[in-house]
Amino acid sequence: MIRGGRSYVTSAPSFSNDAKKLLVCTGNTVSVFSAATGLQITSLEGHTAQVTTLIVVPASSAAQKILCYCWTASLDGTIRHWDFSGPELLQTINAQVPIYSMVIPSLLSEPQQTDKRYDSSKLVAYVSVEDTSLVREGSTELRGHIRRFNLAKERLPRGDTLKETEEPKSIVISPSGEFFGIRHKCKIHVWDVPSGGSVSKKMTLHHTKVINAFAFHPTERIIAAGDVTGRVLIWRGFGNRKLALGSQKKNARAMVDLDNPGVRDEDDAESCTTWHWHSAEVNVLNFSSDGAYLYSGGREGVLVVWQLDTGKKKFLPRIGSPLLYFIWSPEPTLSSVVCADNQIHLLKMPSMEILRTISGIKPPPSLPKMYEGLSSTVAFDRSSGIAALCTENYCVQLYNLLNDRGISEVQVCERNHQPGDEITVVVTAVALSLDGSVMSTTEVKLPEDGIGGLVSLKFWESEPDSKTFTLSTIVYEPHKDAGISAIAFHPTRSMAVSTSFGGDFKIWVSNSDKSQTDKDSSWICHAVGSYKKKPMTAAAFSGDGTVLAVAAENVITLWNPDKNILLSVLGATLTPITKLCFAGKSEFLVAASHFPKPELSVWNTSKLSSSWSYGLRIEAITSALDSSTFAVLALVPKIFRKSKSKKNVFRGRDGAILLFNGSDPKPVSIWTVMKAEGGSISFLEGDKSQLRLAYVNGSHEYVVFDPNSDETHERSAADYEGLVGEEETGDFGYTSMYGELPDYDKKRKEDAESLVTPFVSSERPWETIFSGSTLNFPPLQKLCGEFFESLMEKSNSVVE
Amino acid sequence: MNLVNIKDVLTSFSPALDYLALSTGDGRIKIWDTVKGQVQTEFADIASAEETNIYTNGGKGHLSVDYTCMKWLSLERKKKRKLGTSILVLGTGGGDVLALDVASGQLKWRISDCHPGGVNAVSSSTKASCIYSGGADGMVCEIDPNSGNLIRKFKASTKAVSSLSVSPDGKILATASAQLKTFNCSDLKKIHKFTGHPGGVRCVAFTEDGKYVLSSAVGERYIAVWKTDGAKKQSASCVLALEHPPVFVDSWGETDKMGLYVLAISEVGVCYFWYGSNVEELGNAKPTKVSLATEDSSLKQQHKGSLPVIFAAKLQGVLKPGSANAFIASGLLVKPSFQKMLLQFGNDLVLNASKNGVLLPITQSVSKSKKGQGVQNKVTTLDRAHAEDALLPIARVADLQEKKSVQPHSSDKDTDMIEQSQAVSDYVETFSMEDKLRSLGILKGTNEPSNLSYASAIDGIDLEAYLPPKKLKSAVLSMEPSTAFKTLEALASMWQTRGCGGRYLLPWIYSIMVTHSHYIMSREPKNHQLLSILHKITKSRTIALQQLLQLSGRLQLVTAQINKAVGNETQTRVHEQEIDDESEDEEEDVEEHFYGENDNESELSSDEGEDKGK
Repeated sequence: MIRGGRSYVTSAPSFSNDAKKLLVCTGNTVSVFSAATGLQITSLEGHTAQVTTLIVVPASSAAQKILCYCWTASLDGTIRHWDFSGPELLQTINAQVPIYSMVIPSLLSEPQQTDKRYDSSKLVAYVSVEDTSLVREGSTELRGHIRRFNLAKERLPRGDTLKETEEPKSIVISPSGEFFGIRHKCKIHVWDVPSGGSVSKKMTLHHTKVINAFAFHPTERIIAAGDVTGRVLIWRGFGNRKLALGSQKKNARAMVDLDNPGVRDEDDAESCTTWHWHSAEVNVLNFSSDGAYLYSGGREGVLVVWQLDTGKKKFLPRIGSPLLYFIWSPEPTLSSVVCADNQIHLLKMPSMEILRTISGIKPPPSLPKMYEGLSSTVAFDRSSGIAALCTENYCVQLYNLLNDRGISEVQVCERNHQPGDEITVVVTAVALSLDGSVMSTTEVKLPEDGIGGLVSLKFWESEPDSKTFTLSTIVYEPHKDAGISAIAFHPTRSMAVSTSFGGDFKIWVSNSDKSQTDKDSSWICHAVGSYKKKPMTAAAFSGDGTVLAVAAENVITLWNPDKNILLSVLGATLTPITKLCFAGKSEFLVAASHFPKPELSVWNTSKLSSSWSYGLRIEAITSALDSSTFAVLALVPKIFRKSKSKKNVFRGRDGAILLFNGSDPKPVSIWTVMKAEGGSISFLEGDKSQLRLAYVNGSHEYVVFDPNSDETHERSAADYEGLVGEEETGDFGYTSMYGELPDYDKKRKEDAESLVTPFVSSERPWETIFSGSTLNFPPLQKLCGEFFESLMEKSNSVVE
Repeated sequence: MNLVNIKDVLTSFSPALDYLALSTGDGRIKIWDTVKGQVQTEFADIASAEETNIYTNGGKGHLSVDYTCMKWLSLERKKKRKLGTSILVLGTGGGDVLALDVASGQLKWRISDCHPGGVNAVSSSTKASCIYSGGADGMVCEIDPNSGNLIRKFKASTKAVSSLSVSPDGKILATASAQLKTFNCSDLKKIHKFTGHPGGVRCVAFTEDGKYVLSSAVGERYIAVWKTDGAKKQSASCVLALEHPPVFVDSWGETDKMGLYVLAISEVGVCYFWYGSNVEELGNAKPTKVSLATEDSSLKQQHKGSLPVIFAAKLQGVLKPGSANAFIASGLLVKPSFQKMLLQFGNDLVLNASKNGVLLPITQSVSKSKKGQGVQNKVTTLDRAHAEDALLPIARVADLQEKKSVQPHSSDKDTDMIEQSQAVSDYVETFSMEDKLRSLGILKGTNEPSNLSYASAIDGIDLEAYLPPKKLKSAVLSMEPSTAFKTLEALASMWQTRGCGGRYLLPWIYSIMVTHSHYIMSREPKNHQLLSILHKITKSRTIALQQLLQLSGRLQLVTAQINKAVGNETQTRVHEQEIDDESEDEEEDVEEHFYGENDNESELSSDEGEDKGK
């Protein structure tokens, strides 16, 4: 079982004290990368949910630089203490509520007293948690709590609540450890860290816009904040009155100076200045370690360095993706900037030169509403285990699933990607031929003010040397103005079909088949077909490529792709079909539709009848090449998931992969998965003819596993148990494979059966006529009446 | 450009084949990502980057480090199943052995002056339980890969050990100077001595099962295969010849089960591949060559030595007997490209050499790159008018006959689809109901496609419906002579093609001939052909008449006997059938009789219809 595609950018990474390692939160684990090579060294495994905070215990002296301790907090409600050189788990503290953010001021503020690192009374953490008891009731109460925990105690009490907000906020701490704060809409709340056991004091800074990020100056009382419009505000001398350190000072400074320039209302700050450069929201703010510079960045993908005293700027442009975090390392020449496209750049500091990039799988593009659910943005090369994934910047990333490494990117359209710009081009679909030699993409240029929309279809030929694809053919407006709904490749020949909502499908062939060298190959339209002008919504070639199935809304038409002859028409489903797939080389055809009534139906093409169907919403279908096995990725209905009895089965997973064998409506196995929406599955057939199933979820995390072999079941079950036993973990965001414990298995199947709703509804008798064996098919005379009746009913329903 | 000989290049694939370490003898090690085809990281000056300054002199530049051998191995961790550390073990010309932790980029351990005079070879088994190194001093050291501690040291040879290898199971060690020796790894006792190589052996490799050792010496144009468990004194089991001395040897497969696969790279960067199910077969096998295309002779001249070559390869697995997967690094050393390819024994392969990384002179590069781009970026653009030549759908396949003719044609490969097509023809009428309903309207009365062409001529005549002779006569009379003639033509050709039964056609033909004989005679010169056709047909059918009559008589007899036995008399039907046959042929001769019979027949048939109705 291979897992990968984790996001490196869910929370801020952290350098180790010797700046040779970079710790990155990757889902449930913390991965430790080498800053020198960019390769992963080790990982900290143990959390059962996403790790949200990572704090490396800072070294106070040069001798301590080799110490590798860190604290992590996770949504699973635990705080853990690690030695990441080992790696070894030292301590686990259960907070019982999901932790979204955590700061430990004492680590920062008392670096001098080295021996007191574990002085229990000092180790106080401030955490941002979500009160899950309130979530369940679905109320609008304030769920996010800022609490104070004493990490010395193994089992935490509720802790003092400092502040309640609508949702959990991330806490920002000053590098000196004196202050921490949160941003809340247009306000920044700042607390000071009490030196003794006293209650911390609070002050608030106000602004007119929603604040996106803020940072504390390492030595002075300066706060920098960035808002959604791109302004950077600098408050100097905050909290002189309210957060005075000693009581004597408090008296001394208790003078109200109303002339404070730029400071709003009664805010406790000496001055407030505003800097303008960013055109869009500011996400990143960080002072340099000596406090002389301020780093800011945002959606434009430009890192700006401000000289704090003068306001002079330096830039690191063309990062290409919105910035998320900027961190500096204990080594002054090294820092790191984290981008939204799942890349961590290591910067050589004064010159801001990108030394090395740790990159992961690219996150999926954010599609405009109208394309959601229609696009297929993931394609698989079954033989080599490479996935082609559409990304934000009009690219298709080729990602090797077996090695968990990106291979290359193919720029689908010529337009430069500016992260701040509005989306004007959408890559709606990508498809790979079975041998991985040809890729096809479709893109839509969104019309501006209703003018200038353009659909184009592109064919790309692979270049084995450079491991990328080069453009071979562009077809502008392949289906007039209509959008392309699906592309499918012929299993053995250079042939592809594209279907459109405009009511036709086109078969494309490459003329490289006939003669010429590879480089001259181009694609031409071989045939055009339509069926009653109905929108064509999906297409699939049969396993041997002799039959092409095209879904014309709710009927399936079978064609001879060579001669373009309509062979037959398969009866109607209730709703338009969105996905089609032949089950290997068998006669079964799997169709899925989801709007307005979801349905998964299996058709027998030799009998031209429906074999069985389930009322499931299907995200993806895949079938093995040689056997009749096929797998579907289904979204589990919310109601079903929420019901009490099944809650422990699903545990927050919203989808299921069901493996079927041909005509048998009973799934062979079921795995529940997370983030199934927008997910995709495919069988991978490697060199050893060993069948593996790859699942890529909605945020491009993936898992590759062997669906058939019993050993895998057992092994993974053992893995699962092992995880539970040792580190009490589950797996977040990934498939969890259920073992073959017999009673449990049975329950699973029962679940599955109760989950499916029969396709046939009793009040519509004519629908049942066509399903079932053809032998007891009623005579024509009887059918006629029923049939016309059904037609009339249908039109009635339309009128209504 | 610096001329780098492939002999001096050190390469080592990572165990998972996702990285390649490459050192060209300048003291730098580049780690190439074989998946991306990019440099992942570069190690230069490892020794001085660490605090090993104490041992080595401070100002020592990286060029002074002279690596002589390299081996990448991954250390399994027993405690946790996560990425085991992979280390790169290097031997230097100075006699040091060092291990580099590739992931963290740090020196893991170092043994200074392990082999005075230089380390010549390092090797380890697949499990990497220990590392063996051999050097110029003739000693072999056993090293713990985790700590870098020297475990044992023994003298393997009086001369320098030029190469050594450990069998995959880690039990046998083969060392080579001029002669090849095998040792038992546990007690370091000598097992065998193989002599025969004239010079220092450059490469030694064990087969997968450890039963054979492959070796080749410097300057030798062959690889010797030795049996490890044979008699004390023996010569090589077989010898594999190549055109140039090999620099690298790899093998896969077991002698008993899968056969032996041997892969070698020669000094000039050509990859050789042998396969044999046993050693004898292997010895007789002619090698399959994988080479890079060197079509550009100008390039060759201008960049002497820096030719694209294959410089690293590794067998990955066997697909079926005679073909194996190999991972090959080829191209220029500055920009290698990595390919996983299927080697089929007997099929020589020529790879395209990519010119990536070649520094071309400016004058040439402009034209070259343009040319190259022109070739590469030849993009076909299709606009809206792309579908003009496309096939249009063949609209309706309600006709079963047609489908049957199409189906087997399109699905000759697959029985499933034939099955399906038959099923299509069987069930189409039942399932696509609305189509059938519609097509019924279309299909009515048109059972023959050939009919359609004559439809205009016989418009208004219902051939199917039987008309009494009188009505028929009046219908013919009411025809205009010219239309009647056209009808006659149509009918004649229909009869000729057997489009329609003569039983229906002949009355019409006869009646037209009778009624419009004058007109026909007036058209005689032109329609001579028509009449002659009719004549021919009638002639040809009358020839068969005698036989038909005989046959009918026989049939009559047989059926009569049968009926007698059954006690049922349906003689009339047979008779009627016979008459029908006759009538087709004898129309002109026996018209009276024919009509009489036909009347009779019509009555009968109507009776039958009634019976059926009942």
